[in-house]
Amino acid sequence: MSLTSALNIAQSALFNASRQTNIVSRNVAEASNPDYTRRAGVLSSTAPGARISEIRRATDDALFKQNLSALSSWQGQSRISQGLDRLRLEVNGTDNATSPASALGKLQTALQNYAAAPSNRTLAETAVEAARGMVRSLNNGTEAVQSFRTELDADIATSVGELNELLAQFEAANTEVIRGTRAGRDVSDALDRRDALLKKISGYVPVSTISRADNDLVVTTADGTTLFETVPRAITFARTDAFAPGMTGNAVYIDGVPLASGTGGNTTASGSLAASLQLRDQVAVDMQRQLDETARGLITAFAESDPAGTGADMAGLFTWNGGPGLPASGALVDGLAGRIGINANVDAAAGGDPERLRDGIVYDHNPDDAASFSDLLDSYIAGLDEPMVFDPAASLGTTKSLNAFTSESIGWLEGLRKEASGGAQAKEALAMHTATALSNATGVNIDEEMALLLELERSYEASAKLMSVVDEMLSQLMQVAR
Amino acid sequence: MKTSFISTASMSQALRYQMMRLQSELVQSQNEATTSRLSDPGAVLGARAGTTFSMARDIERLEGLVDANSMAASRLAATQDGLEQLHGLGEKLLTTLTTAPNMEAPQTIAEEARRSLETMTGILNTSVNGEHLFAGINTDTKPINDFTDPASANKQGFDTLFQSHFGFTQTDPAAAGITAAEMNAFLDEVETYFMGSGWDDWSNASDRKITSRITLNETSETSITANEAGIRRIAMTAAVLTDLMKVPLSENARTALYERGTQFVGQAIADVAHIQSEVGLAEQRVSDASERISSQVDLFKTMITDLEGVDPYEAATKVNELLTQIETSYALTARIQQLSLLRYLP
Repeated sequence: MSLTSALNIAQSALFNASRQTNIVSRNVAEASNPDYTRRAGVLSSTAPGARISEIRRATDDALFKQNLSALSSWQGQSRISQGLDRLRLEVNGTDNATSPASALGKLQTALQNYAAAPSNRTLAETAVEAARGMVRSLNNGTEAVQSFRTELDADIATSVGELNELLAQFEAANTEVIRGTRAGRDVSDALDRRDALLKKISGYVPVSTISRADNDLVVTTADGTTLFETVPRAITFARTDAFAPGMTGNAVYIDGVPLASGTGGNTTASGSLAASLQLRDQVAVDMQRQLDETARGLITAFAESDPAGTGADMAGLFTWNGGPGLPASGALVDGLAGRIGINANVDAAAGGDPERLRDGIVYDHNPDDAASFSDLLDSYIAGLDEPMVFDPAASLGTTKSLNAFTSESIGWLEGLRKEASGGAQAKEALAMHTATALSNATGVNIDEEMALLLELERSYEASAKLMSVVDEMLSQLMQVAR
Repeated sequence: MKTSFISTASMSQALRYQMMRLQSELVQSQNEATTSRLSDPGAVLGARAGTTFSMARDIERLEGLVDANSMAASRLAATQDGLEQLHGLGEKLLTTLTTAPNMEAPQTIAEEARRSLETMTGILNTSVNGEHLFAGINTDTKPINDFTDPASANKQGFDTLFQSHFGFTQTDPAAAGITAAEMNAFLDEVETYFMGSGWDDWSNASDRKITSRITLNETSETSITANEAGIRRIAMTAAVLTDLMKVPLSENARTALYERGTQFVGQAIADVAHIQSEVGLAEQRVSDASERISSQVDLFKTMITDLEGVDPYEAATKVNELLTQIETSYALTARIQQLSLLRYLP
């Protein structure tokens, strides 16, 4: 009965062609979905005829893992770059216009002008106004840094929530994969979904995966903490509602293990969580310390000593809430930049007399009230260029002038930004490159699918033709037999 | 078997990515071409951005100093002018005194001395911008009291001195009995009075001169005070002649007065010349400092341009290149998007 078997084979060929057309049409439909992997039907011959034995996904594990790690690094780096840009803009301003360093320059210029004509009251007022600008720059800087930390903390809390949600979704996809694999079903869709979730997770934390039997997947962070093993592990974080200088934020715990933060401008942080932690606990903290040390430097540089040599040195033009004494030399006072203020005795708005800047605020340095007495003003100007001792915790070295300290603070931030922008370029390029390579390995080419479709069309036509020929042959046979 | 494979998504993705990069570069180069300065100096210079910032800040301070120096220079120039006039005044007095013994009109000499005194007071009380030039740092008060005012401290001080030395007032007829030796003794006392604490009756000026910051780390004295010896001597000669010429003195006493007056004024002229040279030195120092500052500013500006500057021609060329590249990229995108098997299928 070979005619009947030919008919059967043609029939299965038709069936195969339509099944493959189905796959092609699905491929074309998902051509622009980056999370979709190309499918292909695998034909195996069964005597008589052939059938589609499995649907194979085009995968490349090595590329996929590379892409995941590149994504993590890029996310971390771009978070750092954004954070640094924001700090620069909010604390230092466009072209550093509102930075403490430039406020100090303005104050110094104003003092210089006043010292050149000490009898001019307007210049005294200008100098006090410049001092007010200095205080404003430090106060605003402190506020900006602390609200930045608070926002980062809130952002970390949101990220942790999203990460937990993603892991729950991951569990659903993983279960479906395992069940489908055991039952022998096509699990391609579930696998795609699982990979897409992994990509999202790697944006938050760096992931590495271990495959087990039945396509089961164990997900850990790059340093080995378990994120998912049969069930998702809890990621916990206690949010801090408001930050003040000197406060320490809480750590993020993955499965009970604290997540390490990144270091450096070209950061070691992978994923946005580690980068946010780095910004909150290192960059912003250092920035705040530099502001605090600048404030302490100011109070010290403008301190007044007793011309008679008996009284203790007192806070002069700049005071703080711990005044009228001076803060301890060489030691950081947390939050001083937020607590520094202008001495009310020179503040015309508070009923003070700006000219006491010339004559001495605490002690009388100008007993004859000479109108062109400039010694005290000159000593202030010179004091800003004289070396003083800074706390090494501000990470700008210990012995330098206040002028140098403030401009180095700008150098410090810009140095980090340079490293970060260099790193961001390299990491973005790597992420783009691995994504392209992965897409080339696993993605869909519409032209290829169309060519495949042509083939399928021909094969369908041929099979149909075969059937009609066999039918004709059979009917001729029937006629002969009649 | 496929040897090379490219996915449709990655083809359009790559085009998009390139386009984005080119466009962001274009914005930067455009900015650089128009400002001749790096669009983000911090990101290029890194830690060196602190150096350029500190230089820019110093430039601002230095330019402020140049302004302050020109103020100090004008003060010194006015002071020098005043001293020149004092010098002239002294020489005129000297001429009058040397010709005096031949002239029979003491009244003329008294008149001359009084004019000199008034001119001198006027010069010493000159103020520029509301600051008294010869007051030291005490610039808000007139440095010299008016000797012609009978109520002023210096006139009264002198009267007391006369009274206590001779035992009678200047208008007393007994003055005619003063001998040359007695006159000399009195004039010795007058000199001690003027050169010592008696000058306090005359001057409200501070001994301390105005110090100005002439460079970032150098200060210099940029004024003088009326308490200088030369000025005291001129004042002394003018005052003594003005006052004692009114006294009915004997010929001998008057000759002694002329002689001592000549001696005083000669010394005064030398002293004033000395002050003048001091002021000249200060002027020189200030103008040198200003010159140094301008060359420092130029140097800083050059260094900043070296670090932050961008060759505008280079940037403009880059803009053109980028524009060409972007246009090519557009053309390619359009063509690649048309490149599809679909168009050839029936």
